[in-house]
Amino acid sequence: MELLLQFLSNTGFYLADYRNFVMLAIGSLFVYLAIAKKYEPLLLLPIGFGVLIGNIPFFKGFGLGIYEPNSVLHYLYFGVTTGVYPSIVFLGLGAMTDFSSLLARPKLMLLGAAAQTGIWVTLLSAMALGFMPKEAASIAIIGGADGPTSIFLTAKLAPHLIGPIAIAAYSYMALIPIIQPPIMRLLTTRQERRIHMSEPREVSKKELMVFPVIGLFLCCFLAPASIPLLGTFFFGNIMKESGVVDRLANTARSAVIDTATIFLGLTVGASTQGDVFLTPKSVSIFLLGAVAFSIATASGIIFAKIMNLFMKEKINPLLGAAGVSAVPGSAREVHLVGLKEDPTNFLLMHAMACNSSGVIGSAICAGILWSFMM
Amino acid sequence: MYGLEAISANNGWAMAIIGPLIVMSGLTILAIIISQLHKLVALFDKKAKQTTEPPIKSKDEISAPNIFPNDILKTAKIYQVLIDKLEQPFELSDLYQVAVQNNFPHPILTVSRLRDAGILIRESEGLFIWNR
Repeated sequence: MELLLQFLSNTGFYLADYRNFVMLAIGSLFVYLAIAKKYEPLLLLPIGFGVLIGNIPFFKGFGLGIYEPNSVLHYLYFGVTTGVYPSIVFLGLGAMTDFSSLLARPKLMLLGAAAQTGIWVTLLSAMALGFMPKEAASIAIIGGADGPTSIFLTAKLAPHLIGPIAIAAYSYMALIPIIQPPIMRLLTTRQERRIHMSEPREVSKKELMVFPVIGLFLCCFLAPASIPLLGTFFFGNIMKESGVVDRLANTARSAVIDTATIFLGLTVGASTQGDVFLTPKSVSIFLLGAVAFSIATASGIIFAKIMNLFMKEKINPLLGAAGVSAVPGSAREVHLVGLKEDPTNFLLMHAMACNSSGVIGSAICAGILWSFMM
Repeated sequence: MYGLEAISANNGWAMAIIGPLIVMSGLTILAIIISQLHKLVALFDKKAKQTTEPPIKSKDEISAPNIFPNDILKTAKIYQVLIDKLEQPFELSDLYQVAVQNNFPHPILTVSRLRDAGILIRESEGLFIWNR
């Protein structure tokens, strides 16, 4: 009888507290959204299931939890805390990215820079709310709408906040179809949304091959702290464009990035243990993340409208919303909003140019923030 | 510490001004460079074409005419340079080989016409001489 009672006292049912149930509900919601609503399933399913795994109550000291040394989850989490997974994800992203639309219309790169305004406004907001500078910088990077970059910077500056920041960043990336369209419609007129972009020029193979080298030099000389992200990103891209290592490029954009995404999502989800995650700070981070993402979207659109004041050939201001680096979610959303206004207006290719510029922009911001905090 | 005081104490204003300026200027420079990239690539291509020296011809190499005349005597005059490289008498296969090596068009047809015209004369079994 005593043995049975001892066993029961070690079960999850006995050890659970309300925070576990709250997180289990959130995890289940993520899994539901991923499967039923298909909101960024590649991200939400691993994270959601990770939340479920991480919030099953267990007897502390058995080496089971993600924060307990020698646990399996702890070893898998190593890739997050050291910034290894984000670098690998960037390698795969580089091997997937086609820069031809950006090279054909380089001025769209400015929208990727403008959309980073959300990061800097959130930095100030987080500081004003009492966060320490390193914490504020980690929260601010959510405005880049780039999960791997957010995790990378947080791992370097405020590792204790990885859970809430990663969850916030990925949640907002998944919620792009809900967050961005109202902002787009609010800040643009119907006439502006119907602006057609002209056909871009054809980009030569040589240009595509030279770009990663120039991009690497310029961006990494400017912000050397972004080397772990942009170094692998441009390496992945030159593998793709050179055409001499197709096998490696294919592996980078399939097996390698998929493996990193699985473990990144799962362990980030598992790091949201109720007792560690459910704090007033996490709530503030979620609110600041929403502010950061909304400001990023808005600033991209407003900058596009400002550019139109000076340009002969107008650009569709919706493209500014794709300046955040949520690839390809925000580009797809811009395309869909444009299509709703005019079924003959295909913005996807142009939006991808802003999107890929946003990836570079947010990685540079991460590098700058890291060097500011050194 | 909260509010504006916290921002000032943590050097937030400077970061929020300098940070976006660096990003914007960095990406602007990158945009300017890539906007000129196609011109640079074209320039290098052009230069590479110009600097590529024409292949040096060996003294023995003979330049083949693009268009062969219909006149058999003129054709024979052109073939004379090949005959000079061969020892008399010669096999037709040798003549054919040097003609191919020097990119002379339609060597089989031309050799056949030269035979018909009596310019290539059979001397003995399988050997021919050139009727000058």
